[in-house]
Amino acid sequence: MIKKLHGICLLLLTVETAQAQQGPSINTDTLPAVRNLNEVVVTGALGIKRSAREVGAAAQLVGNEELNQGKVVNPIFGLTSKVAGLRINMYDSKVDPQVKIVMRGSRSLNRGKNEPIYVVDGVPVPDINRLNPNDIESITVLKGANAAALYGSEGVNGALMITTRSGQKGRTVVKFSNTTTFSQVYLLPPAQTRYGQGTEGVYAPTMYESWGPLFDGSTRDLGGVLPDGTQPTQTYAATSKDNRLNLFQTGITQQNDLSFSGGDNKSTYFLSLQHAAIKGIIPEDASRRTGARFNGSRRFGKLNTSYNINYIYFNRNTTPDGPWITAYQLPANFDYPAMKDWENPNSAANPLYFFTDQMKNPYFQIDNTRDRLAQQTLNGKVELDYQVTDWFKAIYRLGLYSVSEETRSTAGKFEAPGRRNVVGTVSDGSNNFRRVNGDLILSFNKDFGKFSTRLVLGQNFRADYTKVSAVGAGNLTLPGLFNPGSRVGELNGSAGITEYRSVAGYGELTAGYNNFLFLTLTGRNDVVSVLSPENRSYFYPGVSASFVFHDVITALKHSRALSFGKVFASWNKTGNVTLDPYNLNNAYSQVNGFPFGNMVGFTPSAEYPNPNIQPEFVTSYEAGLQLSFLNNRLHFEGSYAYSDSKGQIFKANTSRAIGYSTAVVNAGRLTNNVIELSLSADVIRDRGRDIRWNIGGAFTHINNRVQELYEGLEQFPIFRQSYAVKGSAYPALLVSDYKRDPQGRVVVNATTGDPVQATAQSHLGTMVPPYQMGLHTMFSYKGISLRAQFDSRLGGWLYSEIAPRMFTAGTHPWTDDYDRQPFVFPNSVIEVSEGKYEPNTSKLTSSGGKSFWQQQGSVQYNTAAKSDFFKLRELAINYSLPASLLRRQQLVKDVNIGLVGTNLFIIRHKDNIYGDPEYLYNNTDGYLSFRQVPPYRTYGFNINVTF
Amino acid sequence: MNSVFKIFTGLFAVVAMSSCSKFLDVNKNPNAPVNENLPLSAKLPAALVSSVNQEAGQLNQLGAFWAGYWGTTSEGVNLFFKEKNYDGPAIRHQRDGIPVWENAYATLLYYQLIREQAEKENALFYAGAAKIMQGWHFLRLVDVYNNLPFDDALQGTVHPRPRYEDGKTVYAKSVDLITAGINDIKNALPGTEAKADDILFNGNRTSWARFGNTVKLRALVRQSEAGDAAYITAEIAKITAEGSGFLAAGEHADVNPGYLVSAGKMNPFWETYYRNVQGAATGNLLDLRPTQYAVDQYISRNDPRLPQLYVAVGGSYKGVLFGNPNAEEQYNRANTSAFKGPQENGNQPAAVFKSQVQAAMLMGAFESLFLQAEAAQRGWLPGASAQLLYEEAIRESFTYMGVNTALFAAYNSQPAVDFAQAANKVARIAEQKWLALNSISGIEAWAEYRRLGVPAIPNSLDAPTPDARPLRLMYPETERQSNGEEAAKQGSDNITTAPVWWDK
Repeated sequence: MIKKLHGICLLLLTVETAQAQQGPSINTDTLPAVRNLNEVVVTGALGIKRSAREVGAAAQLVGNEELNQGKVVNPIFGLTSKVAGLRINMYDSKVDPQVKIVMRGSRSLNRGKNEPIYVVDGVPVPDINRLNPNDIESITVLKGANAAALYGSEGVNGALMITTRSGQKGRTVVKFSNTTTFSQVYLLPPAQTRYGQGTEGVYAPTMYESWGPLFDGSTRDLGGVLPDGTQPTQTYAATSKDNRLNLFQTGITQQNDLSFSGGDNKSTYFLSLQHAAIKGIIPEDASRRTGARFNGSRRFGKLNTSYNINYIYFNRNTTPDGPWITAYQLPANFDYPAMKDWENPNSAANPLYFFTDQMKNPYFQIDNTRDRLAQQTLNGKVELDYQVTDWFKAIYRLGLYSVSEETRSTAGKFEAPGRRNVVGTVSDGSNNFRRVNGDLILSFNKDFGKFSTRLVLGQNFRADYTKVSAVGAGNLTLPGLFNPGSRVGELNGSAGITEYRSVAGYGELTAGYNNFLFLTLTGRNDVVSVLSPENRSYFYPGVSASFVFHDVITALKHSRALSFGKVFASWNKTGNVTLDPYNLNNAYSQVNGFPFGNMVGFTPSAEYPNPNIQPEFVTSYEAGLQLSFLNNRLHFEGSYAYSDSKGQIFKANTSRAIGYSTAVVNAGRLTNNVIELSLSADVIRDRGRDIRWNIGGAFTHINNRVQELYEGLEQFPIFRQSYAVKGSAYPALLVSDYKRDPQGRVVVNATTGDPVQATAQSHLGTMVPPYQMGLHTMFSYKGISLRAQFDSRLGGWLYSEIAPRMFTAGTHPWTDDYDRQPFVFPNSVIEVSEGKYEPNTSKLTSSGGKSFWQQQGSVQYNTAAKSDFFKLRELAINYSLPASLLRRQQLVKDVNIGLVGTNLFIIRHKDNIYGDPEYLYNNTDGYLSFRQVPPYRTYGFNINVTF
Repeated sequence: MNSVFKIFTGLFAVVAMSSCSKFLDVNKNPNAPVNENLPLSAKLPAALVSSVNQEAGQLNQLGAFWAGYWGTTSEGVNLFFKEKNYDGPAIRHQRDGIPVWENAYATLLYYQLIREQAEKENALFYAGAAKIMQGWHFLRLVDVYNNLPFDDALQGTVHPRPRYEDGKTVYAKSVDLITAGINDIKNALPGTEAKADDILFNGNRTSWARFGNTVKLRALVRQSEAGDAAYITAEIAKITAEGSGFLAAGEHADVNPGYLVSAGKMNPFWETYYRNVQGAATGNLLDLRPTQYAVDQYISRNDPRLPQLYVAVGGSYKGVLFGNPNAEEQYNRANTSAFKGPQENGNQPAAVFKSQVQAAMLMGAFESLFLQAEAAQRGWLPGASAQLLYEEAIRESFTYMGVNTALFAAYNSQPAVDFAQAANKVARIAEQKWLALNSISGIEAWAEYRRLGVPAIPNSLDAPTPDARPLRLMYPETERQSNGEEAAKQGSDNITTAPVWWDK
């Protein structure tokens, strides 16, 4: 162990939170990106201010204003498309949308382990989804693996360094803001509107699938007879607008924020309160977040003490995924409004008399099946910082992150015959997580003539503890009483405890020469609990350098054109362990009803364990250039980064014939070649007339390659249609396809006329767009400002699993293209002899009905599309009341009102009729699932008042 | 400088690591036992339940459609669509398909781990039981997929891309495995038998041996049209020499772990196809119906099992047409005969639905008797009377389905039943076997239909072409994805054109 630590002499980099010197204010001067880089100071994790000049790696700062431009509830969404190299996908428009975030491409085949590390005020936390974005002073995005040295292995995927706001000396500020936005569903997969319910072209009153006759406007029976003897009927015609939209409502998001800050010579004070309430686009879906933060500090001579406390209460009440899945499959004439009245005993909406028993009334699903969550997050830190001498400082920082959740899932008992019967169920869960993280840091600073040095040594421990438990009953006796106590049969229950611990020692040495040349060495040794004692200690080094050339090279020194110039480069090799606890052995469990009384029966998990798993290593290097021109009106930054991850820890899908479905292995190699360019320019900057127009953009190209796979395999599946394919970008979309002739025409069976399926799968491309572009523009004139953020991602593919269901249900638009008659399959050929093809001009398909179209739906090629898009992600217009108006009173210092919208327009590839191309499912990019709530766009207004 | 560095880092390491080992020793799973924690008696019941769940659930259902027993009502015209139109790619699909392969290999692994542990502990009874059950599953897999991994299978990542062996070889190896299993069982030291945890035979060595022999006999009968006579004769001789015989009347290979009247703990066949814990009809009970062909077979023989199996509608029994794409009113739920259970039978057990806690059927004694009857008819069992075995088998089926055996004599005297009057005796045995396996061993009935073409089951009305029949399943998507090269080497796996090896 100690032997390994001998290597620790490298170290490096550090940018943590960079912060513009001007400080935050509503003043438009601080708006995006154009800053005087000569003056930029970054605040290191250790509280040490340092110049951005010495930073030897790519880093990008996003300030409070920029982050909150779209008035997001989750701060991560505020970063979307604003940072080169950072890809953020929102998926699922639930009232608590999920997010996936990946920096500079995937480094791990373990698809859940590509997230960067989140560090809030120096303390690594598992996520920041619940953080109030208004509390954030700035987020510094560290793109390389360099952060790993100071914060641990997860930094291999980059880091988001969050600095929360703190009070300022002598200035008391009280702020209030309200944002109200409305959301509306859009991009539903289209449905055909010509044919209604039935089978083989014949109307069937109890059939939900749209394989009936053409709509004809007649009145037809719907389902069976009601208890009062009436036969429900319906108009057999599609509604004029998409009837499915009736199921969705306009969502409302309201945020109210109040903050107080101030300070004196010894103390700082910051208090904020926030309430955010979301009413979903699905009826009855709602969430609410109420949080408070208190940041403070006080100095006692050489000792500075500081603390942050953040408490967040979040609750959520949603329906599971049934209602909209049903909607995708119901006919175009289905009368949604008439189905709301399901409790009426004499209604066709009543689950007893709903027209089919194979689908449930969506409104009944919404009312009867609920998932509830109440979550409390407590996050805080205590920091003691002692200046021993002027060159030596010791810091101890202890952080706590604790989440406790109560969950309840219920289904109301509804007694009815057969499939209409709903068994009453309840499941009550309790999930607790806490992380304690401690760092002892010693920092030494010494200058020797023109040389400056700084040495940081640190020791870290982390302990994560998770306990989950659930009790439930699968058969309740009373419709409205959800307690496992009133049940029939046995109590269900489960519990699990998971512990993860690590300790580490780390160091960083920075040496500078004459404030223009810097070298930083880093090293860290981690010891983690999840590997066997022989394998659990690992060391990783790094080095970085920067050279600020514009004031060294004489020719440039007094150049008016160039105001700043820097080149930087770094190299590091970072170890990482992505294995979850208890994965070295195969765990047994009781399934299939066991235990039956005294009879136990244990079966092993389907995962082949490997007790000898080793840490994986990622080697990466990067080089970059930062330039500012024309008195900092134009700023350019470009970088190239390369990473090579080897011996990855992941669960390889295996042939089931080996007895297991997956095997934990150290295998596979992925490389990324990343080019990032960003540009920001003040096209107009006229302080006199108070006009400014800034435009900018961030471009990223990621060339990701799978270089090696497990056991020499050429490819293997990751999740359903998503694969790792050797020599290709990861993940790759592989789909079943038609057999085709060399010209790509579809081969049809000479006898049946139906297209023939190919035996091999087709590799369409990667599911992660390799090209990402963000464009932003900001125009301000006096108190008015307009900001827009555009986003485009190109070159990827997506797959929809919604479409096959719509083919089966006869709602897919293709199913009426040929009037449900046999037809000549377009652009098809017949194989007349081995390898010889002739165009098919006359052979009709076997059918034009369900049996034909369902098969076409199962050809995955038909439900894949390119995922290219260009969208207006955010648009914000703000107006600050002129100072002259506020001059006459003392109370209000500033008033700002605005309009805000997101996703106001989108252009998609023409083949993508399925949904929002940035949605993903189960950590798989480019996968659209019917479980996702369909996407929405939002628009609204906000008002900010500073006192 | 460098040495200062080393001193500091060393110091840190000491501080950090002094108590580190204890602090970090938290990787012992507190939630679940691992292999080494569990005795064999805690593993065998789970493996046996897994076997019978597949046989009486997934496989019985698929077979029941393809052996002509089941169809759906008009209300359920869209249900079981892939089974009705023999949609091979949909059936092999990872998400919405029928994972016969995946489930079988998972169960085979359970037995593999039991075998390994038993061999280590010299617990021969368990090793033998595991081998016999592995033989069972491999035979079944060949019946469904033909060529597949045997020697390379079940060894974790030792063979990450297991090689396939041809169906005939796997058949022979499975028969040998069962032979070895029987030997192990017989050689187990007294007192080392499984006890109540043997939920198949309660530790009875003779029953296990008979079961093993019966499964081997099934494998041999199956190759009647394809195998070589010398092999069959030699294997029959081994069975005879072993001496335990076959499963006898009343000796069903059925499994009961102690089912409870509680959701998820009832007999799964009951809970899936009949009623839930509250007594509410399942969707299957509403929409699954006997085919008219099946009903007609019982009616034409005045079969007393018919009223035990189904509920009469307006005084008569009415079935449906398998794969009928049209929702005709005459095949509505209300107009067709549903399965009968105690609730429709004066609270008495019916033919296949007897109680929530009934044992789940792996292999009925009646099947054993029919197998022996055919083997005797083919002259493989010298001294055995095909007719007596045939009649005993029918009586056994009567008993199982709750029919008074006093009715047997009259039944047996009919020309359509009487063995002596049959022109084709093997076909006669097959017909009666088909009547006995109804809704109990659908997969076996489908295999026998493929072998002999008996009885003359009408094709699905939704078949891709009028004479296309399902002959096998395609290799699953999971296998194409993870071991595609090997799967591709096996040639066509087309569901309607690529028969398994014994189907000639």
